[in-house]
Amino acid sequence: MAYNYGQAPGGYPGQAPGGYPGQQPGGYPGQAPGGYPPAGGFQQPGFGQPQMDPQIVGWFQAVDTDRSGKITAIELQQALTNNNWTKFNAETCRLMIGMFDKDMSGTIDMYEFQALYRYIQEWKGVFERFDQNRSGHIDYNELRNAYSTMGYNLSPQFAQMVTYKFDVQGRQALTLDTFIQSCVMLKGLTDAFKQRDPQMQGRIQLNYEDFMTMAVFNKV
Amino acid sequence: MSYNYGQQYQQRAPAPGGIDPNYLMGIFQRVDKDRSGQISAKELGEALSNGTWTPFNPETVRLMIGMFDRDNSGTINFQEFSSLWKYVTDWQGCFRGYDRDNSGSIDKNELKTALTSFGYRLSDRFYDILVKKFDRLGRGTVAFDDFIQCCIVLQTLSQSFQAYDTDRDGWIQIGYEQFLTLVFSIKS
Repeated sequence: MAYNYGQAPGGYPGQAPGGYPGQQPGGYPGQAPGGYPPAGGFQQPGFGQPQMDPQIVGWFQAVDTDRSGKITAIELQQALTNNNWTKFNAETCRLMIGMFDKDMSGTIDMYEFQALYRYIQEWKGVFERFDQNRSGHIDYNELRNAYSTMGYNLSPQFAQMVTYKFDVQGRQALTLDTFIQSCVMLKGLTDAFKQRDPQMQGRIQLNYEDFMTMAVFNKV
Repeated sequence: MSYNYGQQYQQRAPAPGGIDPNYLMGIFQRVDKDRSGQISAKELGEALSNGTWTPFNPETVRLMIGMFDRDNSGTINFQEFSSLWKYVTDWQGCFRGYDRDNSGSIDKNELKTALTSFGYRLSDRFYDILVKKFDRLGRGTVAFDDFIQCCIVLQTLSQSFQAYDTDRDGWIQIGYEQFLTLVFSIKS
Protein backbone atom coordinates (compact mmCIF):
# COMPACT_ATOMS: atom_id res chain seq x y z
CA MET A 1 0.00 0.00 0.00
CA ALA A 2 1.28 3.43 -0.86
CA TYR A 3 2.39 5.61 2.00
CA ASN A 4 0.13 8.54 2.66
CA TYR A 5 2.25 11.67 2.66
CA GLY A 6 -0.89 13.72 2.71
CA GLN A 7 -4.54 13.56 1.78
CA ALA A 8 -4.21 15.36 -1.52
CA PRO A 9 -4.65 13.37 -4.75
CA GLY A 10 -1.45 11.58 -5.55
CA GLY A 11 -0.46 12.02 -1.95
CA TYR A 12 1.27 15.27 -2.68
CA PRO A 13 1.06 17.80 0.08
CA GLY A 14 0.13 21.28 -0.79
CA GLN A 15 -2.69 20.77 -3.23
CA ALA A 16 -5.05 21.40 -0.43
CA PRO A 17 -8.19 23.47 -0.67
CA GLY A 18 -7.98 26.91 0.76
CA GLY A 19 -5.14 27.75 -1.53
CA TYR A 20 -1.51 28.12 -0.94
CA PRO A 21 1.10 30.33 -2.55
CA GLY A 22 1.84 29.27 -6.07
CA GLN A 23 -1.24 27.54 -7.36
CA GLN A 24 0.39 26.68 -10.66
CA PRO A 25 0.19 23.04 -11.83
CA GLY A 26 1.64 21.08 -8.97
CA GLY A 27 0.03 23.65 -6.75
CA TYR A 28 2.80 24.22 -4.28
CA PRO A 29 5.22 26.98 -3.50
CA GLY A 30 8.54 26.17 -5.00
CA GLN A 31 8.29 23.90 -8.00
CA ALA A 32 11.72 24.89 -9.22
CA PRO A 33 14.74 22.66 -8.63
CA GLY A 34 15.87 22.75 -5.05
CA GLY A 35 12.37 23.32 -3.77
CA TYR A 36 12.56 27.01 -4.50
CA PRO A 37 9.57 29.00 -5.57
CA PRO A 38 9.06 29.91 -9.17
CA ALA A 39 10.88 33.19 -8.74
CA GLY A 40 9.83 35.40 -11.59
CA GLY A 41 8.16 32.37 -13.14
CA PHE A 42 5.90 34.66 -15.10
CA GLN A 43 8.88 35.74 -17.15
CA GLN A 44 8.98 33.79 -20.38
CA PRO A 45 12.25 33.86 -22.29
CA GLY A 46 12.07 36.38 -25.09
CA PHE A 47 9.23 38.32 -23.56
CA GLY A 48 11.47 40.88 -21.99
CA GLN A 49 11.24 42.08 -18.41
CA PRO A 50 7.90 42.07 -16.65
CA GLN A 51 6.00 45.25 -15.99
CA MET A 52 7.08 46.95 -12.81
CA ASP A 53 4.47 48.02 -10.32
CA PRO A 54 5.26 51.71 -9.58
CA GLN A 55 4.55 51.21 -5.90
CA ILE A 56 7.09 48.37 -5.75
CA VAL A 57 9.63 50.55 -7.57
CA GLY A 58 9.16 53.11 -4.80
CA TRP A 59 9.67 50.48 -2.11
CA PHE A 60 12.73 49.13 -3.88
CA GLN A 61 14.31 52.56 -3.93
CA ALA A 62 13.53 53.06 -0.28
CA VAL A 63 15.12 49.72 0.64
CA ASP A 64 18.16 50.20 -1.59
CA THR A 65 19.72 52.66 0.83
CA ASP A 66 23.13 52.76 -0.87
CA ARG A 67 21.50 53.36 -4.28
CA SER A 68 23.41 50.50 -5.88
CA GLY A 69 20.39 49.26 -7.83
CA LYS A 70 20.74 46.03 -5.91
CA ILE A 71 19.37 44.91 -2.56
CA THR A 72 21.47 42.88 -0.14
CA ALA A 73 20.12 40.60 2.60
CA ILE A 74 20.96 43.31 5.15
CA GLU A 75 19.03 45.99 3.25
CA LEU A 76 16.13 43.58 2.85
CA GLN A 77 16.07 42.98 6.60
CA GLN A 78 15.50 46.68 7.19
CA ALA A 79 12.40 46.50 5.01
CA LEU A 80 10.59 43.38 6.16
CA THR A 81 8.59 43.20 9.35
CA ASN A 82 6.50 40.58 11.06
CA ASN A 83 2.96 41.35 12.14
CA ASN A 84 4.24 42.38 15.56
CA TRP A 85 6.62 44.91 13.96
CA THR A 86 9.75 42.94 14.71
CA LYS A 87 12.25 42.76 11.87
CA PHE A 88 12.50 39.61 9.79
CA ASN A 89 15.32 37.43 11.06
CA ALA A 90 18.58 37.45 9.11
CA GLU A 91 18.28 33.81 8.06
CA THR A 92 14.91 34.31 6.42
CA CYS A 93 16.24 37.33 4.52
CA ARG A 94 19.19 35.30 3.28
CA LEU A 95 16.83 32.49 2.35
CA MET A 96 14.63 34.86 0.34
CA ILE A 97 17.57 36.51 -1.43
CA GLY A 98 18.92 33.05 -2.27
CA MET A 99 15.59 32.04 -3.79
CA PHE A 100 15.19 35.05 -6.03
CA ASP A 101 18.79 35.84 -6.83
CA LYS A 102 18.97 34.18 -10.23
CA ASP A 103 22.42 35.41 -11.18
CA MET A 104 23.90 34.22 -7.84
CA SER A 105 25.26 37.66 -7.06
CA GLY A 106 24.07 37.57 -3.47
CA THR A 107 21.85 40.56 -4.22
CA ILE A 108 18.56 41.08 -6.01
CA ASP A 109 17.61 43.65 -8.60
CA MET A 110 14.29 45.45 -8.94
CA TYR A 111 12.60 42.72 -10.98
CA GLU A 112 13.73 40.01 -8.58
CA PHE A 113 12.52 42.19 -5.73
CA GLN A 114 9.08 42.42 -7.28
CA ALA A 115 8.85 38.64 -7.52
CA LEU A 116 10.10 38.33 -3.94
CA TYR A 117 7.66 40.92 -2.71
CA ARG A 118 4.75 39.05 -4.26
CA TYR A 119 6.00 35.79 -2.87
CA ILE A 120 6.06 37.23 0.66
CA GLN A 121 2.59 38.70 0.17
CA GLU A 122 1.33 35.24 -0.73
CA TRP A 123 2.86 33.80 2.40
CA LYS A 124 1.43 36.64 4.43
CA GLY A 125 -2.02 35.67 3.14
CA VAL A 126 -1.44 32.05 4.14
CA PHE A 127 -0.15 33.11 7.52
CA GLU A 128 -3.15 35.30 8.23
CA ARG A 129 -5.55 32.58 7.16
CA PHE A 130 -4.05 30.15 9.66
CA ASP A 131 -3.65 32.72 12.42
CA GLN A 132 -7.23 32.16 13.45
CA ASN A 133 -7.16 34.14 16.66
CA ARG A 134 -5.41 37.06 14.91
CA SER A 135 -2.62 37.08 17.45
CA GLY A 136 0.06 37.77 14.84
CA HIS A 137 1.51 34.36 15.67
CA ILE A 138 0.91 30.81 14.56
CA ASP A 139 0.70 28.67 17.67
CA TYR A 140 0.90 24.90 17.97
CA ASN A 141 -2.77 24.24 17.23
CA GLU A 142 -2.79 26.64 14.29
CA LEU A 143 0.34 25.00 12.92
CA ARG A 144 -1.23 21.55 13.15
CA ASN A 145 -4.22 22.88 11.27
CA ALA A 146 -1.94 24.51 8.68
CA TYR A 147 -0.08 21.24 8.08
CA SER A 148 -3.21 19.23 7.61
CA THR A 149 -4.77 21.87 5.34
CA MET A 150 -1.59 21.96 3.26
CA GLY A 151 -1.86 18.20 3.04
CA TYR A 152 1.02 17.12 5.23
CA ASN A 153 0.49 13.93 7.15
CA LEU A 154 2.50 14.70 10.28
CA SER A 155 2.10 13.85 13.95
CA PRO A 156 1.23 16.37 16.68
CA GLN A 157 4.75 15.81 18.06
CA PHE A 158 6.21 17.13 14.84
CA ALA A 159 4.24 20.38 15.01
CA GLN A 160 5.28 20.64 18.66
CA MET A 161 8.94 20.26 17.75
CA VAL A 162 8.71 22.90 14.99
CA THR A 163 7.05 25.43 17.30
CA TYR A 164 9.79 24.81 19.82
CA LYS A 165 12.66 24.95 17.34
CA PHE A 166 11.59 27.98 15.34
CA ASP A 167 10.35 30.06 18.21
CA VAL A 168 13.14 32.38 19.23
CA GLN A 169 10.98 34.83 21.12
CA GLY A 170 9.86 32.34 23.74
CA ARG A 171 6.18 32.60 22.81
CA GLN A 172 5.77 28.98 21.71
CA ALA A 173 4.52 30.33 18.40
CA LEU A 174 5.84 31.27 14.97
CA THR A 175 6.05 34.74 13.49
CA LEU A 176 5.71 35.27 9.72
CA ASP A 177 9.47 34.95 9.10
CA THR A 178 9.93 31.71 11.02
CA PHE A 179 6.70 30.34 9.57
CA ILE A 180 8.02 30.90 6.03
CA GLN A 181 11.40 29.45 7.02
CA SER A 182 9.92 26.30 8.49
CA CYS A 183 7.54 25.77 5.55
CA VAL A 184 10.31 26.23 2.98
CA MET A 185 12.48 23.75 4.84
CA LEU A 186 9.62 21.26 5.19
CA LYS A 187 8.78 21.54 1.51
CA GLY A 188 12.40 21.11 0.39
CA LEU A 189 12.94 18.05 2.57
CA THR A 190 9.61 16.50 1.55
CA ASP A 191 10.43 16.94 -2.14
CA ALA A 192 13.89 15.46 -1.68
CA PHE A 193 12.47 12.52 0.26
CA LYS A 194 9.72 11.80 -2.26
CA GLN A 195 12.18 11.90 -5.12
CA ARG A 196 13.85 8.91 -3.50
CA ASP A 197 10.58 7.11 -2.80
CA PRO A 198 9.15 6.27 -6.24
CA GLN A 199 7.01 3.45 -4.81
CA MET A 200 5.52 5.87 -2.22
CA GLN A 201 6.30 3.60 0.69
CA GLY A 202 7.10 6.38 3.13
CA ARG A 203 10.50 4.82 3.80
CA ILE A 204 13.73 5.23 1.90
CA GLN A 205 17.28 3.92 1.86
CA LEU A 206 19.88 6.63 2.17
CA ASN A 207 23.63 6.63 2.22
CA TYR A 208 25.67 8.93 4.41
CA GLU A 209 26.66 11.52 1.82
CA ASP A 210 23.19 11.69 0.30
CA PHE A 211 21.69 12.18 3.75
CA MET A 212 24.17 14.91 4.65
CA THR A 213 23.60 16.67 1.33
CA MET A 214 19.81 16.63 1.67
CA ALA A 215 20.01 17.96 5.22
CA VAL A 216 22.54 20.72 4.62
CA PHE A 217 21.02 21.80 1.32
CA ASN A 218 17.58 22.25 2.86
CA LYS A 219 18.76 23.72 6.13
CA VAL A 220 17.41 27.22 6.69
CA MET B 1 34.07 -3.96 6.58
CA SER B 2 32.32 -1.30 8.54
CA TYR B 3 31.81 2.12 7.07
CA ASN B 4 34.34 4.73 8.05
CA TYR B 5 32.56 7.80 9.33
CA GLY B 6 35.73 9.27 10.79
CA GLN B 7 36.72 9.90 14.36
CA GLN B 8 34.80 13.12 14.70
CA TYR B 9 31.78 11.26 16.00
CA GLN B 10 33.45 10.36 19.23
CA GLN B 11 34.20 13.96 19.98
CA ARG B 12 32.41 15.37 22.97
CA ALA B 13 32.45 18.78 24.47
CA PRO B 14 35.84 19.03 26.11
CA ALA B 15 36.08 19.10 29.88
CA PRO B 16 37.43 22.23 31.49
CA GLY B 17 40.94 22.02 32.73
CA GLY B 18 44.25 23.77 32.44
CA ILE B 19 42.75 27.24 32.75
CA ASP B 20 43.07 29.29 35.90
CA PRO B 21 39.56 29.47 37.44
CA ASN B 22 40.23 32.97 38.77
CA TYR B 23 41.09 34.19 35.31
CA LEU B 24 37.92 32.59 33.95
CA MET B 25 35.83 34.06 36.78
CA GLY B 26 37.09 37.50 35.79
CA ILE B 27 35.91 36.94 32.25
CA PHE B 28 32.60 35.49 33.42
CA GLN B 29 31.90 38.56 35.54
CA ARG B 30 32.65 40.90 32.67
CA VAL B 31 30.32 38.97 30.35
CA ASP B 32 27.57 38.76 32.98
CA LYS B 33 26.66 42.41 32.62
CA ASP B 34 23.50 42.31 34.71
CA ARG B 35 25.32 40.45 37.54
CA SER B 36 22.71 37.72 37.63
CA GLY B 37 25.28 34.97 38.01
CA GLN B 38 24.01 33.56 34.73
CA ILE B 39 24.99 34.39 31.17
CA SER B 40 22.20 34.78 28.64
CA ALA B 41 22.47 34.26 24.88
CA LYS B 42 22.46 38.04 24.47
CA GLU B 43 25.31 38.57 26.92
CA LEU B 44 27.32 35.77 25.38
CA GLY B 45 26.77 37.12 21.87
CA GLU B 46 28.06 40.53 22.89
CA ALA B 47 31.15 39.00 24.49
CA LEU B 48 32.20 36.72 21.65
CA SER B 49 34.23 37.99 18.75
CA ASN B 50 34.87 36.39 15.41
CA GLY B 51 37.78 38.66 14.72
CA THR B 52 36.09 40.54 11.88
CA TRP B 53 34.16 43.22 13.75
CA THR B 54 30.86 41.70 12.74
CA PRO B 55 28.47 40.54 15.48
CA PHE B 56 28.83 36.90 16.44
CA ASN B 57 26.26 34.76 14.66
CA PRO B 58 23.25 34.56 17.05
CA GLU B 59 22.42 31.06 15.78
CA THR B 60 25.86 29.86 16.82
CA VAL B 61 25.40 31.46 20.22
CA ARG B 62 22.06 29.71 20.68
CA LEU B 63 23.53 26.39 19.55
CA MET B 64 26.37 26.71 22.06
CA ILE B 65 24.10 27.74 24.92
CA GLY B 66 22.00 24.69 24.07
CA MET B 67 25.06 22.44 24.21
CA PHE B 68 26.39 23.65 27.54
CA ASP B 69 23.21 24.56 29.38
CA ARG B 70 22.92 21.26 31.27
CA ASP B 71 20.08 22.38 33.52
CA ASN B 72 18.00 23.66 30.56
CA SER B 73 17.64 27.10 32.08
CA GLY B 74 18.37 28.86 28.78
CA THR B 75 21.35 30.51 30.43
CA ILE B 76 24.74 29.26 31.54
CA ASN B 77 26.30 29.39 34.98
CA PHE B 78 29.99 29.69 35.75
CA GLN B 79 30.70 25.99 35.57
CA GLU B 80 28.91 25.65 32.23
CA PHE B 81 30.73 28.76 31.03
CA SER B 82 34.10 27.18 31.83
CA SER B 83 33.30 24.26 29.54
CA LEU B 84 32.06 26.60 26.84
CA TRP B 85 35.16 28.76 27.08
CA LYS B 86 37.41 25.78 26.58
CA TYR B 87 35.27 24.67 23.66
CA VAL B 88 35.45 28.04 21.90
CA THR B 89 39.20 28.46 22.42
CA ASP B 90 39.79 24.93 21.11
CA TRP B 91 37.80 25.77 17.98
CA GLN B 92 39.67 29.03 17.68
CA GLY B 93 43.01 27.27 17.74
CA CYS B 94 41.81 24.83 15.14
CA PHE B 95 40.35 27.56 12.95
CA ARG B 96 43.50 29.69 13.05
CA GLY B 97 45.51 26.69 11.91
CA TYR B 98 43.52 26.66 8.67
CA ASP B 99 43.07 30.40 8.23
CA ARG B 100 46.55 30.92 6.80
CA ASP B 101 46.18 34.58 5.95
CA ASN B 102 44.51 35.47 9.28
CA SER B 103 41.55 36.90 7.39
CA GLY B 104 39.07 35.57 9.94
CA SER B 105 37.52 33.27 7.37
CA ILE B 106 38.43 30.10 5.50
CA ASP B 107 37.69 29.11 1.93
CA LYS B 108 36.27 25.88 0.58
CA ASN B 109 39.59 24.07 0.29
CA GLU B 110 40.66 25.07 3.79
CA LEU B 111 37.28 23.98 5.12
CA LYS B 112 37.62 20.66 3.36
CA THR B 113 41.13 20.16 4.74
CA ALA B 114 39.91 20.98 8.25
CA LEU B 115 36.90 18.67 8.16
CA THR B 116 38.85 15.90 6.45
CA SER B 117 41.34 16.07 9.28
CA PHE B 118 38.42 15.53 11.68
CA GLY B 119 37.69 12.35 9.77
CA TYR B 120 34.81 13.39 7.51
CA ARG B 121 34.77 11.81 4.08
CA LEU B 122 32.59 13.96 1.88
CA SER B 123 32.69 14.95 -1.78
CA ASP B 124 33.64 18.26 -3.37
CA ARG B 125 30.02 18.77 -4.36
CA PHE B 126 29.05 18.52 -0.71
CA TYR B 127 31.63 21.13 0.26
CA ASP B 128 30.27 23.49 -2.40
CA ILE B 129 26.85 23.29 -0.77
CA LEU B 130 28.34 23.54 2.71
CA VAL B 131 30.24 26.76 1.95
CA LYS B 132 27.20 28.26 0.27
CA LYS B 133 25.07 27.51 3.33
CA PHE B 134 27.49 28.75 5.96
CA ASP B 135 28.84 31.74 4.08
CA ARG B 136 26.77 34.48 5.67
CA LEU B 137 28.67 37.36 4.14
CA GLY B 138 28.45 36.22 0.54
CA ARG B 139 32.21 36.06 0.05
CA GLY B 140 32.62 32.41 -0.76
CA THR B 141 34.29 31.85 2.59
CA VAL B 142 33.23 30.78 6.09
CA ALA B 143 33.90 33.01 9.11
CA PHE B 144 34.84 31.71 12.56
CA ASP B 145 31.37 31.90 14.11
CA ASP B 146 29.79 30.20 11.10
CA PHE B 147 32.54 27.60 11.11
CA ILE B 148 31.60 26.57 14.65
CA GLN B 149 27.96 26.32 13.63
CA CYS B 150 28.93 24.29 10.58
CA CYS B 151 30.95 21.85 12.69
CA ILE B 152 28.16 21.43 15.25
CA VAL B 153 25.60 20.83 12.51
CA LEU B 154 27.77 18.23 10.77
CA GLN B 155 28.49 16.49 14.06
CA THR B 156 24.81 16.42 15.08
CA LEU B 157 23.70 15.11 11.69
CA SER B 158 26.44 12.49 11.58
CA GLN B 159 25.63 11.24 15.06
CA SER B 160 21.95 10.98 14.16
CA PHE B 161 22.76 9.11 10.98
CA GLN B 162 25.04 6.76 12.84
CA ALA B 163 22.36 6.02 15.40
CA TYR B 164 20.19 4.68 12.57
CA ASP B 165 23.05 2.86 10.88
CA THR B 166 23.19 -0.03 13.35
CA ASP B 167 25.13 -2.35 11.04
CA ARG B 168 27.55 0.46 10.16
CA ASP B 169 27.48 -0.06 6.41
CA GLY B 170 26.96 3.64 5.63
CA TRP B 171 23.30 3.13 4.64
CA ILE B 172 20.13 3.67 6.60
CA GLN B 173 16.42 2.97 6.19
CA ILE B 174 14.36 5.84 7.41
CA GLY B 175 10.69 6.87 7.45
CA TYR B 176 9.39 10.23 6.26
CA GLU B 177 8.63 11.84 9.61
CA GLN B 178 11.73 10.34 11.25
CA PHE B 179 13.79 11.92 8.50
CA LEU B 180 12.11 15.31 8.88
CA THR B 181 12.51 15.25 12.66
CA LEU B 182 16.16 14.39 12.37
CA VAL B 183 16.96 17.23 10.00
CA PHE B 184 14.81 19.78 11.84
CA SER B 185 16.74 18.97 15.00
CA ILE B 186 19.78 20.85 13.64
CA LYS B 187 17.87 24.10 13.83
CA SER B 188 19.20 26.11 16.71
